[in-house]
Amino acid sequence: MSYIVPIGPYHPALEEPVHARLYTDGEEITDAKVFIGYNHRGIEKLCMQKNYIQTLVLVERVCGICSHSHAFSYAMALESIAQMEVPKRGQYIRVIIAELERLHSHYLWLGIALHIIGHDSLFMHTWDDREAIMDILEEITGNRVNYGMITVGGARRDISDDTRKHVLEMLDKIERSMIRLKDILLTDKTVALRTQGVGVLTTEDAIRIGAVGPHARASNLAVDVRIDAPYSSYDDFEFEKAVYPSCDVFSRVVIRVLENFESIKIIRQALDMLPKGKINLGTKIPHIPAGEYMVRHEAPRGQLTYKVVSDGGKFNKRVSIHVPTFKNAPTVPTMLKGNSVADAGLIIASIDPCFSCMDR
Amino acid sequence: MQKYEKISITKDEVVPVAQKMRADGVHLAMIHAFLDDDGTPDVSYEYDIDGGICSYTVRGEKVLPSISGIYDLGAEWPEREIMELMDITFEGCDTSERLFMPDSMLDGQGQILVTPMDELIKKAHGEEE
Repeated sequence: MSYIVPIGPYHPALEEPVHARLYTDGEEITDAKVFIGYNHRGIEKLCMQKNYIQTLVLVERVCGICSHSHAFSYAMALESIAQMEVPKRGQYIRVIIAELERLHSHYLWLGIALHIIGHDSLFMHTWDDREAIMDILEEITGNRVNYGMITVGGARRDISDDTRKHVLEMLDKIERSMIRLKDILLTDKTVALRTQGVGVLTTEDAIRIGAVGPHARASNLAVDVRIDAPYSSYDDFEFEKAVYPSCDVFSRVVIRVLENFESIKIIRQALDMLPKGKINLGTKIPHIPAGEYMVRHEAPRGQLTYKVVSDGGKFNKRVSIHVPTFKNAPTVPTMLKGNSVADAGLIIASIDPCFSCMDR
Repeated sequence: MQKYEKISITKDEVVPVAQKMRADGVHLAMIHAFLDDDGTPDVSYEYDIDGGICSYTVRGEKVLPSISGIYDLGAEWPEREIMELMDITFEGCDTSERLFMPDSMLDGQGQILVTPMDELIKKAHGEEE
């Protein structure tokens, strides 16, 4: 018997609104369609009515998880148009916050994935570790979500020696915990049964559709903007692209764990080599000459693009924001085909979607 | 600083450029579109070439050929988004259903009834007919 099963836009299993239509034959999904836009807030249009500092505050609110990534990317676009050279200490602080953000985002996803597959004890364990990262972010920035650490030309707050010590202690703690978590995730039967062979996206399909970020790397596609198109001070640090070949939900779990180790590596190097000097070029509203630039940033979920057009005035002429979910969500129908309806929630969640980000 | 280069092309060059890029294994980073204050469209195909962005831009064309047959959903989603938000058409792109909120949602057939903002304002001011 064939059915059309709607999921969303508002559904207990979805944190954010999205609508998926599953075409099924019995329990098996034969086709699927995804519809977006339920949280469209017209942020790009709003940006055209704000000056550059006001826009920083606004774009940070596009997303509640990768808020720093948005401010970071927008500031980089302006700095590229104006040919500004951000002080090295400011660049390192930006990278430290970006990697702490990646850590807490990956922990959040791991927790949600474990909750969906029914492993609630591990879900609580990962979110307990995540709290330590959130506490450190609060100590550095004063906030747990919208950090306000970016200004055009650098960072807004410095990192003190005491805080630096606290970050290193926290990294030691979560690294120990992550090693244990990795062993459990790679060997646990519940995790394996619910994730291995489920929601497969082959490398060929990932290339064909244009997947990005950890989602692409979990399909054995070695793409990472931090290495392929280095920006800020990422080329000062040694780290690797985490790739995993099994192309299924299990691969996406493993990738997040491996990437956490790489982020810890980057933060330690940045704190060890933190240069002395200014953290920004001043906090006045900058003059941005006429021009346009598109920048890419490796946000926790993948490649985030910002295209900014300036006419030399006080306000943005145009701002265009495209988040990784916009590139990864089109892969969902391909991943769903041939799987059971019971796995649909997990497969949709496996791209680590941020629909509010995508709808902007 | 990441590399960014803007190259102007004509409408007729859109498909050959996309075909060449696909054959060379180049990733389509995004398709952007803007409307100028006078309504002139500016559509950019942003290709990631060796870590830098080459922005192939067509200006002043409201109807363009779709490259969704070349870049699949990686081009289809940006094209559908642009078509639904701006007065720009991509010929050959699947428009059988909306991407940004399906039509069925607008008349309340789905699980949500979306009311346009202007109608909400009228209701708030008691101007409902």
